[in-house]
Amino acid sequence: MSFVPGQPVTAVVQRVEIQKLCQGENLILGFSIGGGIDQDPGQNPFSEDKSDKGIYVTRITPGGPAESAGLKMGDKIMQVNGWDMTMVTHDQARKKLTKKREDVVRLLITRKSLEEAVKHSKGSHPSHLPAQTNARTTKDRVVL
Amino acid sequence: MFCRNQTTRATVARGSALEMEIRRGKFRKSDFLHTSSQDSDIQKKIDHEIRMRDGACKLLAACSQRDQALEAAKSLQTCSTRIMAYMSELQRMKEAQVMQNVPRRSSDAGPMDDRLPCKGKVAISDLRIPLMWKDTEYFKNKGELHRCAVFCLLQLGGEIFDTDMVIVDRTLTDICFDNTIVFSEASPGFELRVELYSCCSEDDYSAGSTPRKLASKLSSSLGRSAGKKLRAAMEPGACSPVSNGGAAPLLLPVPSVPGPKYHLLAHATLSLSHVQDSFRTHDLTISGNEECSYWLPLYGSMCCRLAAQPHCMTQQMMGGWLKVKQCGGDPKTWTKVYAVLKATSLFCYQRQEDVDANVEPALTIGINKETRIRASEKDPHSKGQNICISNRYGGEEVTHTLNTESREDTHSWMEAFWQHFYDMSQWKQCCDDLMKIELPSPRKPAPVTPKQGSLYHEMVIESSDDLSSTVSDILARRMQELELRSQLGTSPTWMSVFEENSPKSIGFPVRPCTSRLSGHSPHSPHRLPPRSPASPHRCPQPGLLSSDASLTSDSDSHCSTSPCSHRHGWPEPSSNFSLLSSSPSRLRPRTLSLDAKLSTLRGRGYGGGVAFQCSCQPPSSSLLAPHPVSSRSPLSQRSTQTTLSCSSSTSSSSSSNSEGSHSPESSEGGPFSRPSPARRSLRNLRARLDPRNWLQSQV
Repeated sequence: MSFVPGQPVTAVVQRVEIQKLCQGENLILGFSIGGGIDQDPGQNPFSEDKSDKGIYVTRITPGGPAESAGLKMGDKIMQVNGWDMTMVTHDQARKKLTKKREDVVRLLITRKSLEEAVKHSKGSHPSHLPAQTNARTTKDRVVL
Repeated sequence: MFCRNQTTRATVARGSALEMEIRRGKFRKSDFLHTSSQDSDIQKKIDHEIRMRDGACKLLAACSQRDQALEAAKSLQTCSTRIMAYMSELQRMKEAQVMQNVPRRSSDAGPMDDRLPCKGKVAISDLRIPLMWKDTEYFKNKGELHRCAVFCLLQLGGEIFDTDMVIVDRTLTDICFDNTIVFSEASPGFELRVELYSCCSEDDYSAGSTPRKLASKLSSSLGRSAGKKLRAAMEPGACSPVSNGGAAPLLLPVPSVPGPKYHLLAHATLSLSHVQDSFRTHDLTISGNEECSYWLPLYGSMCCRLAAQPHCMTQQMMGGWLKVKQCGGDPKTWTKVYAVLKATSLFCYQRQEDVDANVEPALTIGINKETRIRASEKDPHSKGQNICISNRYGGEEVTHTLNTESREDTHSWMEAFWQHFYDMSQWKQCCDDLMKIELPSPRKPAPVTPKQGSLYHEMVIESSDDLSSTVSDILARRMQELELRSQLGTSPTWMSVFEENSPKSIGFPVRPCTSRLSGHSPHSPHRLPPRSPASPHRCPQPGLLSSDASLTSDSDSHCSTSPCSHRHGWPEPSSNFSLLSSSPSRLRPRTLSLDAKLSTLRGRGYGGGVAFQCSCQPPSSSLLAPHPVSSRSPLSQRSTQTTLSCSSSTSSSSSSNSEGSHSPESSEGGPFSRPSPARRSLRNLRARLDPRNWLQSQV
């Protein structure tokens, strides 16, 4: 997941679509993020490379929309609705996630287990292409 | 050689142009005797300054207080500069005399080269020099306050003025000089030199040029008097400007007096192009570097208001009786008026007394850059020549014709007009409108506060502002508010409720919490030690809280403060626990930790049950309940202490929620206590300032 400056970043990603939950007059996603280019990357407990300044999921509210969508703690968010999250400040990332006009966010996330899964599948079946799983919300949420 | 004692004899420097002219026999030396009057003026000034300087030296040697010494050193510097300036002016005057005595060609419409533009007043005021401290320096509260005494020396032509002295330290953002300095006789090609002198104002009058560290080492290692001598010896000679041996043939050595010495820190030269009726920023050339003890981190520019009032705008250039008639009118309708040429108009009054009486003029003819004046051919109907003045008002051209008594009058009026036009072309933008120059009132100004506040201290802290310089002030104020509120009497009731329920609550929700957080048990063990001394009776539930805290940050100090901030959090969860249906009026906690939020999130749940709601709240709150049960004041005191300790250690657990977006907070619902905007912004700021933080946001 670390990047080499000047080289394109490649990762195995998973698409996660989260429907925002309406609570009162606010839409929430049900997770917490950490990281950003203005933060100290050494304090990120989830990153492999301690110089990675990407946005990571640090906490998932149980039973929340994020959990239902398949987001896991420790995931690194690469994109939010098409907006890049690999080189943003913490506040920029938060803003992209909490846009009031959008009630669904489509994230591209990556995690170590995905890569390993791909490696496994590659190892056992060399002809397999890296799988990109689309996990969608399984339940319909009633949005108030 | 220039001899000071002989005031009447004008001496001639060898090899100068003057000497050459004398040799050629163009004029005699006796021609210069009339210059001796001006000479003696300058001479008197020089004598005066020398006396002042001697006095300043004596004062410097005698005074014991630092402020006096700085002031005396400032006068010394000013006097030395003035002496040098006078001497060079003397030299220049002599050279100028030679040029002026060359017989001039007389001509009516002579070449403009012979004209001298009128002089004017130039005033500089509201000098402000911004400083650029490193933010680490600005915000640090400990350590000696490195102070410098600064003042400005302003020189124009032969006039030198100094501003008041200002002590500058790192709490100031700008150096401001309130003085208004007016130079009375300035020509349009003036050069106003602004020099900023500074001197390190520390306890011992250490040498200015040796590096600070070295000087302090010396003074500490050698003892005061020995160190002083050594330092004086280490100074690279007399660094005053007089000894550069420039124009002055006689070197007046500056007596080296032990005491503070000012050094040139920056300078700038202003001229007519910088004159404007409003504030402008000019560049400063900085001399010196960081190693000097008199160094100040200047931003590199200077703001001031430079205004000029040429005499042609303020004084009456010409006055006399004229006959005016409007062109195109009846030749017989000549009106006799007393005309005064001043500023941008020719004012025509009916009587001469009206000029001083402030009566409105009967006729005003504009004289500006667009006016055209010409002398017309001799009018057969009247004696003397006519002068036609044409102006364009809007689209049309209006011409006035003046007629004077005699030819000489016409000539002198034309001359006056030409001179006026010349002045306006030389003074350029100063002649468009009269610039105001406020003369400093003779009254003694209001006593200057010993410490100039910085801009930050003057700004009013609104609740939405993110200003950090008075963070501790805001916190202290909020704590006082909290104290007041806590004295309202809402807390004790449910505090007691708590106490009863505490034994019950401890054992209750452990299961759901720990199962969820099992993945993070590795983090918890090393959290225990710092916490135990702080809360011995919290042992039953340390694992829970520490694992919560571990999610937020990795530093130990956060853990130690997070339980403290829980104190503020518990009014809310407690109500949740005991009174699920209604939310009573209660204290709004001022700080909220991530854990409290976490717990309330789980508590609010997404349609979760009661058990879910109280999952994490009671342990934290119950653990805190036994503490300040007895009286209110311990609560507030402790909370004061804890909050202040929070502020000093910048707990990230309380600040880890990014408060910028309102959605996470209000998503928790109505009775969820929301920290005030000030608190939020404070925490934001603290979070951002602390490099140890790793911010997390709830989305």
